[in-house]
Amino acid sequence: MATKDEVLQYIKNLANQKLITKEEILNAYNEGSGIKADAVFAKKLKFAEVLYYIGGAIIFLGIVILIAQNWSNLSFLTKVLATLVSGVVAYFVGILLSRDKRTEGIGSAFHLIAALVIPIGLYVVFDNAGFDVSSLELQSLISGILLITYLASFFSFRKNLFLLFSILFGTWFFFSFVNFIIGDSPFLYEWHLIEYQVLFVGLSYMLLGYSFSKSERSSLTGFLYGFGIMGFLGAALSLGGTDPNQNIFWELFFPVLIFIALFLSVQLKSKAFLTFGTIYLMIYIIKITFEYFENSLGWSLALVLAGFSVIAVGYMSVYLKNKYIS
Amino acid sequence: MEIKKNLSLILGISIPILMVLFVIGSIYLPSFFIKPNYNFLYTLEISYMDYPLSEGAYRYSVKNNELIREYIDASDKEKLYISGQELFFYDVAQNVSREISFEEAQKLSLNTNLESPDGFEIVYGSRGEGIFPFLFWSGYDYNSRYIKGHYLSKKLNIQSYTDRYYFFDFLGWIM
Repeated sequence: MATKDEVLQYIKNLANQKLITKEEILNAYNEGSGIKADAVFAKKLKFAEVLYYIGGAIIFLGIVILIAQNWSNLSFLTKVLATLVSGVVAYFVGILLSRDKRTEGIGSAFHLIAALVIPIGLYVVFDNAGFDVSSLELQSLISGILLITYLASFFSFRKNLFLLFSILFGTWFFFSFVNFIIGDSPFLYEWHLIEYQVLFVGLSYMLLGYSFSKSERSSLTGFLYGFGIMGFLGAALSLGGTDPNQNIFWELFFPVLIFIALFLSVQLKSKAFLTFGTIYLMIYIIKITFEYFENSLGWSLALVLAGFSVIAVGYMSVYLKNKYIS
Repeated sequence: MEIKKNLSLILGISIPILMVLFVIGSIYLPSFFIKPNYNFLYTLEISYMDYPLSEGAYRYSVKNNELIREYIDASDKEKLYISGQELFFYDVAQNVSREISFEEAQKLSLNTNLESPDGFEIVYGSRGEGIFPFLFWSGYDYNSRYIKGHYLSKKLNIQSYTDRYYFFDFLGWIM
């Protein structure tokens, strides 16, 4: 019986000779540890699967248009049948189809329909019950119901798709619940609470993405890194404010965050970190140039300076991508 | 060991929960410990529905800590479109507002500083808009008023921007 170190060394040798792939090692690990690999989102989407999702989205649009155009003509029962009931049916059809490997892709399309249509169904029910559908209380309630439903689905079926929906509904719940608590308090504006919400959700997404990157949930990492870094840097840039109400701390701290993002892009081999780090660095350079140098250099010279800086940043981004990420 | 292994997962889930707790604490906790003490006087302008003035109206201001009023004659063509005002007393402890007569209000001594002697001021509320992660901003909500100070913000029951009233005008803290 070989020791663990011997096995790892053997894997290294095989990898060095290109005789084994990362996926094969992961599959072997998953089989041994009893983790059932999730076929959906565990690999890149095939063309047919993309069509399933597009089909699901079109069905959702059809239901929305049907309800919207005939809102006053349809009875409550018809509206519920067209939305909530059809959403719940789509959910169970999705579960049935997902049990067979051959129909798992179509099953996921049904889950997409369910996740899009059930919230509309809940709105219809609460609207009929006399609730104000635009209120943050109701948004918190609906997103909370969906979060619990999809978290329970994830723990029951261990599917990445349910985890993705849990994260999305959790994000919706977070925003609506926090804003419900704050209401229209002046602190919402004065403390920049919306920017901080986006900042922390972005940070949370990146941490979750990193946590999933070393497991069978790694297919969610790209999505979480992408939206996480976009929200995080966007919020940090927004906290810097604009002349004459700029926040010096965030304006000075922002380039530090950018360089951390670029450093992490190399460490994590993440194109999302590199892309958004580069885009936000360009925006920052243009912002700072016009905020502080327009009066001293003149508008046209500031434009030239910003242009050269953007070219330099673009070159750096391509260099990092080619050398460390691709 | 297990915590260290799942640190990023724990942090990723904890950060939004901690922010929710922080917001709940910062919004609700101060109201248990901090109480503003000074009531105030304000006016609301009477809505456009009454334009042009069919009869005379009053406008109010404060001079030397005392309330004064100016009568606007409906026959005065130059002032035809100046709206009248109604006087209100705000009870901060009860968080209720009531109309008050000029005669009653005139007996009160008023401090016109925007900040009360115990460090509170009347400010607009705010509102947020946007869809994560593309648009997110916030600004003043001119329909709501708050009394704010010492980390407390408490919504005031002021009926501005209704069918009958619009502009709110702060007159002074009652000393």
